[in-house]
Amino acid sequence: MRRLSNFKRVPRFGLLRVGLASTSVIVIAFSGATPSRAGSAEEQSASSISRQVKDVFARAAKAVVKIHAIDPHGELCGTGFFADPTGTLYTAYSVGGEAENFTVEFNGKKIPARQVVTDIRSGLAMLKIDTATPALPVGKSDELEVATPVVTIGFPLDLDETPNFGMIAGFDHKYLGRYFSTTHLRVNATTQRGEAGAPLLNLKGEVVGIIVSSLENGSSCYAVPIEAAEKIRSDFVRFGEVRHGWIGANVTEAPAPVEGSRAEITEISATPPATGSGLRSGDILLQVGKVKVREPEDVLDASFFLTAGDVVPITVARGGEKITFDVQADVHPAVKNVPMLPDGTQLPAAATLKFNRAIPLGLQPGSQRTP
Amino acid sequence: MDEFNDNEIAKLLRLKRYEQPPPGYFENFLHEFHRRQRDELLREPLWRICLDRGHDFMLRLNLPALTSYPVAVTAVLVCAAVISLKLYQTPAPASLAAQDRSVSNGQPLQVFATPTNNADAEWTLASPAATRFFSAPSLRNPTESAFTHTRATPPRYVLDSVPVSYETTFKF
Repeated sequence: MRRLSNFKRVPRFGLLRVGLASTSVIVIAFSGATPSRAGSAEEQSASSISRQVKDVFARAAKAVVKIHAIDPHGELCGTGFFADPTGTLYTAYSVGGEAENFTVEFNGKKIPARQVVTDIRSGLAMLKIDTATPALPVGKSDELEVATPVVTIGFPLDLDETPNFGMIAGFDHKYLGRYFSTTHLRVNATTQRGEAGAPLLNLKGEVVGIIVSSLENGSSCYAVPIEAAEKIRSDFVRFGEVRHGWIGANVTEAPAPVEGSRAEITEISATPPATGSGLRSGDILLQVGKVKVREPEDVLDASFFLTAGDVVPITVARGGEKITFDVQADVHPAVKNVPMLPDGTQLPAAATLKFNRAIPLGLQPGSQRTP
Repeated sequence: MDEFNDNEIAKLLRLKRYEQPPPGYFENFLHEFHRRQRDELLREPLWRICLDRGHDFMLRLNLPALTSYPVAVTAVLVCAAVISLKLYQTPAPASLAAQDRSVSNGQPLQVFATPTNNADAEWTLASPAATRFFSAPSLRNPTESAFTHTRATPPRYVLDSVPVSYETTFKF
């Protein structure tokens, strides 16, 4: 019996050994397989992003041009891109705003360009060359989110067109205590001198912004949303000039949100269009045109997309109910007068700014309506 | 020796024993010795006399001590020659640059006269540096320099470091 029992124990230990061995093999196999699969996925992801960036660069680079101009300080170089097939191109105000004798490097030639319209409030300018050109499709900056990958194509220094890859880092209303005229896209993409006016593209190859400035050491930059440029262009097409609108109301932060908004109207101008519009001090601003207002900063975008002469619906909360007023916007005081800095000084560039550098086409009051 | 025997020699010596020089012989002996010596010397050719006198003169001078003076003078002359060569060669590159610039601008080469053309006409006894720097025509004129500066200035590659923003408060 003792022998028998000893004999019976031997195969039990043998089965246990086999089980442990097979389990360890499976564990080792899986533990080894997991990192390799992850590495493979990362490589595929990286190669996919690289392929997309290459594709965007290959399609968009033809419509991105280097701009030469001369201003009182000498020759300057920047970047621009064609917005339509007739040779209209967007660039930054610092490139096309106050210079002259523009030439555009396109198809290996230097083609003279003329200034169409400039807008220091947004920091943009439009130029035009008289030839058929490729054009970049226009996207929607509203669809961007933080960490959305983007591509820029510019001409740094005296180098050829150069792609940069980055991501949306934020949607900023102010920088160093100064408020933007409209929301700016902060992009974590390296920029260098000469890339002012470069297009900001999503991975579909659509323009969603225009690079206007770098930040600190050039590791990131600010871009104006393409909708701002389209507003400038729309104004030019309609009126032959940029017409920023103005209502005449001051807004501050309300102590408590009402209908989801903390933007409280604190002051109504004594002059039209604010006076007699129906708006009152104490109203909570809910919507101006298409722009929903939740914070006082939202008023910046609402104000920027107003067009002088257009009738704009303004919705406020008053006494627990929503009221909508139709108000015809007037010309923005920053256009009537020289813009002022927070410290009360004038902008040097704006001191000599001619607001309308194009031929005015005539305003049609009351016939247009800002949706 | 065969002609004279010892007796004859002894006889002569006895006669010589009482022989006396004429009076004043020893007083004039040194003078006469010098005279005869000069006569011997004057009998040699003139070139030999000059050679001997020159040799004596050189021996009287301390030649090893005097050799330092010509060496020092030679060194000073060599230094002066090197410095003057440097001064002459300095304007040459500027001249070439001016020519290149005018060629690149598509202008004829009449703007600047090269210093080498004027060099022969301007040789004076004045110091080389003064002659070359103050009498030669200027290689640069203000107008041309300004033009060159403008052309050489690289363009400004634009990208603002601060975004344009001047909205002070929330107004619309």
